[in-house]
Amino acid sequence: MMVAPGEVLGKASPLLAAGRGAYVNPHNQTIYASITGRRHVIHSPDNNNKRVVQVVGHKARGAVPEPGSIVIARVTKVMPRMASADIMCVGPKSVREKFTGTIRQQDVRATEIDKVDMHLSFRPGDIVRALVLSLGDARAYFLSTAKNELGVVSAESIAGATMVPISWTEMQCPLTGQIEKRKVAKAS
Amino acid sequence: MRSGRSVGLRTAHVRQLKLTSTVLKTGLTPSASGSAYFELDPGPSSSPPSASTIPSRSSLKLTCTVHGPKPLPRSAPFSPQLILSTNVKYAPFAARQRRGFIRDAREKDLSAHLESALRGVIIADRWPKSGVDVVVTVLEAEEDGWWADEFDLGQSTRRTNFGEWGMMTVLAGCITAASAALVEAGIDCVDLVSGGVAGLVRSKSGTSVVLDPCPSEHEDLVAGCVVGHLASRDELVEIWSRGDNEDQAITLVDHAVDAAIAARGVLASVVKETTALRFGVASTDSEDTAMT
Repeated sequence: MMVAPGEVLGKASPLLAAGRGAYVNPHNQTIYASITGRRHVIHSPDNNNKRVVQVVGHKARGAVPEPGSIVIARVTKVMPRMASADIMCVGPKSVREKFTGTIRQQDVRATEIDKVDMHLSFRPGDIVRALVLSLGDARAYFLSTAKNELGVVSAESIAGATMVPISWTEMQCPLTGQIEKRKVAKAS
Repeated sequence: MRSGRSVGLRTAHVRQLKLTSTVLKTGLTPSASGSAYFELDPGPSSSPPSASTIPSRSSLKLTCTVHGPKPLPRSAPFSPQLILSTNVKYAPFAARQRRGFIRDAREKDLSAHLESALRGVIIADRWPKSGVDVVVTVLEAEEDGWWADEFDLGQSTRRTNFGEWGMMTVLAGCITAASAALVEAGIDCVDLVSGGVAGLVRSKSGTSVVLDPCPSEHEDLVAGCVVGHLASRDELVEIWSRGDNEDQAITLVDHAVDAAIAARGVLASVVKETTALRFGVASTDSEDTAMT
């Protein structure tokens, strides 16, 4: 069923919540559409009795990073206290516009966070999987790799070959056998 | 990308009831994330044909493009919400009076009114650290009055208030077109917002309220009111009133709302129809797209 913004989708209740493309008006506890598209009612992912009504628009809207989402980013600059990265994907979706992220020294790993050497964790050009901590400052989102499954997922060695992870701190070049230090993500 | 046409009310020469057709199309600018074209065609003139080649009245044609949501520029301070910026510009050839390329005070005024109308309708906290630009280009503007009045040719008595009445119709068109373009861009809105105008016309027999006034057709337009109306919530996000409304402010607003509701019919059907076409489904609810 096609709906336009402002159309009533249902009554908000403990059994019905508003999902994407919908909102709840707090004055009358009614769910309205906020974009045009098709109305879908799906089961809530965390509660089987609960339903979520959402509106799916005609085009995949460009993904925007939000706190809690997992992003794929390319490291652009490594500084002693932080690394900058361009966010390329939010979850499975690619971003249309350029969003920058910052991985601060204390957010690289979960342990011994004061002994982190940024240059032994990332190199420009590395592809990292990271968690969005917050919206950050005016320029960049704050990213974190302080989890086993977060960190460098793909990196090139000095020789130019894609390296193979050998431990959670090391990667090896298949051409030269040289070992380089990285904060490596655990393969999922 | 079809156009919806619907019937609005436009009274000419106070007593005569006439129809205006509204044309609204979305998705005309491929490079923008959302766009709309809006046209208000007053139809055949009711005034007697004149020898002059200059048309006795004008219609309204404007395009609106929406760019974004996009990341804020590096110089901008942090914002947890979507930052809206609006820009209304008349094409140099839009009206009888030629416009410069630099935005003048009236265009900035229109931009500010449009921004306040759209600010009330978008759900800004869905897009943190993002900005959206709404750009309106007025291709043909409603004239502020009948052209001959300017030179005191047609009438023996010069009109007292040769004011900026055309701007009000332009603003209402801007609001409706911007709403369609925002929806096309997929920006969350609490409702569709449509613009409507009502005017107070003074004649020998007294004053009367007209919907969608045509400044060049009414001899003495004394007051006007533009509203930005959210029909499903019955809320106003913008009111702009000018002139001496002779204690009829409420009546004027009520009639402007009526005009806005007429515009909303077109807006809603066009928006839904376009989306249905994008999905590749034949629209099932086209009964409200009346043809004039």
